[in-house]
Amino acid sequence: MATEPRIFSTKRSRFEIRDNLWKWIFLLPAVAIILILLAIPVLWTLYAAFTDLHLYRIGDFETQFVGLANFEKLLSNRSFWRTVRNTVVFMLGVVPAQLIIGLTVALALNNITRGQKLFRTWFLMPLMVSPVVVSFIVGRMLFQEDIGPINDILRNMGFEGVPWLTSPTWAMVALMAIDVWQWSSFMILMLLAALKGVPPDLHEAARVDGANQLQGFWRITVPLIMPITMTALLIRIIDAFKVVEIIMVLTGGGPGQATESVTLAIYRTGVKGGDLAFGSSQAYFLLLVLMIFGGAYLVMTRRAMGKD
Amino acid sequence: MGLSAQKRVRTIVSYFILLFWAFILLFPMYWVVITSFKNAIDMSIKATYLPFIDFQPGVHAWRYLFVDRLTWFLDPFMNSVLIAFISSTIALLIGSCAGYALARFDYGGRNNSIVLGFMSQRMFPGALFILAFLVMFRELGLLDTRLSLIIVYSSGAIPFIVWVMRDFFEGLPIEIEESAMIDGANRLGVLFRIAMPLAAPGLVAVFVLSLIGAWNEYLVALTLTFREAITIPLFMTMQVSQTGYTEWWNMSAISLVSVIPVVAAGMALEKYITGGLTFGALKG
Repeated sequence: MATEPRIFSTKRSRFEIRDNLWKWIFLLPAVAIILILLAIPVLWTLYAAFTDLHLYRIGDFETQFVGLANFEKLLSNRSFWRTVRNTVVFMLGVVPAQLIIGLTVALALNNITRGQKLFRTWFLMPLMVSPVVVSFIVGRMLFQEDIGPINDILRNMGFEGVPWLTSPTWAMVALMAIDVWQWSSFMILMLLAALKGVPPDLHEAARVDGANQLQGFWRITVPLIMPITMTALLIRIIDAFKVVEIIMVLTGGGPGQATESVTLAIYRTGVKGGDLAFGSSQAYFLLLVLMIFGGAYLVMTRRAMGKD
Repeated sequence: MGLSAQKRVRTIVSYFILLFWAFILLFPMYWVVITSFKNAIDMSIKATYLPFIDFQPGVHAWRYLFVDRLTWFLDPFMNSVLIAFISSTIALLIGSCAGYALARFDYGGRNNSIVLGFMSQRMFPGALFILAFLVMFRELGLLDTRLSLIIVYSSGAIPFIVWVMRDFFEGLPIEIEESAMIDGANRLGVLFRIAMPLAAPGLVAVFVLSLIGAWNEYLVALTLTFREAITIPLFMTMQVSQTGYTEWWNMSAISLVSVIPVVAAGMALEKYITGGLTFGALKG
């Protein structure tokens, strides 16, 4: 895929003029749907963040504009910053782990010929499973403290059982393990595709020139797989910042607030608590953070697209 | 060490790494399968690993699910099936038409920007949408309806489909379409009779991926539905909050029923799915 030549605008149909109507009929439904279901929520949430909108009071009370009050509340809200910290810790834990596992396994896969398809197919499996089920199986069952197999194996090896869900630190580790179990496959498949785009004769040439394996890897492979690696990393960073479902199922944000993520905080404030205004200001904070990484992601994607 | 010996060592190490990771992925799945055949006694004292050796497997969890409580499980299951299929079909139709248009027509030199506009959806947090959707669908009287989830999931899948299919259509030879149009076919006929059949692998991939996305989605379903329109993931967590984590075998059986269809579909179509998943990042 990576080596296929792209077809540029010169190949567009010369029947274009005749098709002026179809041109819009094909495109507009998609644009309209996305505008309605993306732009309205984004603008509405911005509006809500500057009001005192509350779910249980809609219709009964006049909605007041409160200026920056919600954002001021946000800045001084220690509980919210705790969830920001948790989310960043989670991201910093899972993304590097997935990169290391992804690169190791992808290199191994690229190294073999027999059984490659079988491994590839099996590695796809976790990506098909819902986060709720993954969190239930890997989290609730395997990390169960009394009769779960992980603690059981640890005890049989002579260690103490680990308080996976009752200790703040270990609960975070368990959540990271769940995410790594599920999403390393994404890194593996992305990096394998990237490695397949590295022409083998480049390595041959380097070997003839006297470069060893390691030099070949750093000087040829790494630069060539860098764009795809960066894109995959950005996707995983964005997704890690949005983490919520596995937390809801495994710890519910606990013990205490030790594993509560930003998205879980927003759900609790806005949906459960009904405080749409404060929830919206939290959501905007998250959006601003994601826009940094999302912007970088769009730049990478734009670069990969070539000329229009 | 000679070159061939070095190569052999590398191959052995590679297989070792692959088998190790395959085992890490396998173990939880093995565990959920054996747990669905366990009895309460097998889980009350210590962990048990091997059926027939550690414990006597029984089918009571499966009988419970498919005989005793079938009707209770069937509604969320059918909700999930309907919502996933209808939303993916709508998204496929609308998204692939737009993808085709962006591959074949010129929008004032802004085609790439339009595609990037679609892709920018990825950076918007779900947390932002659930607040707005909750109010929107409440005002429309659509809370706890399948329609609300169908609308949300269709729109969620469209950007990805536009992106993948645009590239897929661009890779198809334009000459066939041109000669069909010389023979008098119109653009609609060209799209549905020529381009779509040729793009079938791409269409299958994006359809199955959006099916899986809708089937597994939890946060929006949790926000918008609560009784009539609940989907399987929501049904599962509701079971847990009712019974606590005590009936592991029943939860395992439900997990397997919810996971097997999508995992089987995904793995059977491995080639296409991997292509769809890793798409876009791999160009240029």
